[in-house]
Amino acid sequence: GAPGKALVRPPQMSPMVSAFSAKYSSTSAQQQQAQVTYDDTVKLSESCVKRMGEIMDKGEYLRITVEGGGCSGFQYKFSVDNIRNDDDRVFEQDGVGVIVDQESLEFVKGSTVDFCQELIRSAFLVQKNPQADHGCSCGSSFSIKV
Amino acid sequence: VSRRKILPTRAALTLTPSAVNKIRTLLHDKPEYIGMKVGVRTRGCNGLTYTLDYTTAKDKSDEEVIQDGVRVFIEKKAQLTLLGTEMDFLESKLTSEFVFNNPNIKGTCGCGESFNI
Repeated sequence: GAPGKALVRPPQMSPMVSAFSAKYSSTSAQQQQAQVTYDDTVKLSESCVKRMGEIMDKGEYLRITVEGGGCSGFQYKFSVDNIRNDDDRVFEQDGVGVIVDQESLEFVKGSTVDFCQELIRSAFLVQKNPQADHGCSCGSSFSIKV
Repeated sequence: VSRRKILPTRAALTLTPSAVNKIRTLLHDKPEYIGMKVGVRTRGCNGLTYTLDYTTAKDKSDEEVIQDGVRVFIEKKAQLTLLGTEMDFLESKLTSEFVFNNPNIKGTCGCGESFNI
């Protein structure tokens, strides 16, 4: 049922709604707080920086893209890339960089990229995504707050 | 895939060479552990997920699988669901994970972590 779900929730609707609510939110303290954390950058956790320093060659970046799919509507994809396109945003820290294209950034801004190491699996994860409503247990799929 | 596929002559769990190597590496210089324990836990969007831990002792109800010198124990709760499963270890630049190729499952989640029987 995952692809069917993705069809039910049109991806272009959610960012418009969140942009709308951000623009027209009242000035209560709580909502201002929310706006402060709602920045348009992607942060890199310590473990993420450390791991990327180990595996990335010079000129290589970790690219994060968001696609429709997964059990919750959207999912994160990670890849290694050495090409920076015009519409890419680069978030660098301690010599390593994460690139996110403009469209995917709408879905991941404000989140933290983490490298999670467990016995059964070690992988990069997008965490603390302020746009994500509830994710899948694995953290690779998420749905959008409306 | 039929629901009850019991193959008594085969090991409950088979390990691929890469899984054997990884477990051997994990257990290297940890003499206090005798092997790894595989279990299932209720979690995730499709009902169940695998767990993997070090183990210091074999429980009475555990199923023991010895392959190429490594010992893997299967929790009682996981024995039926894991029967005939192949345990593999996949490694790429970005991720490294144990993967269970389970003939009993009916559906998985997009990420492959969660499944139902």
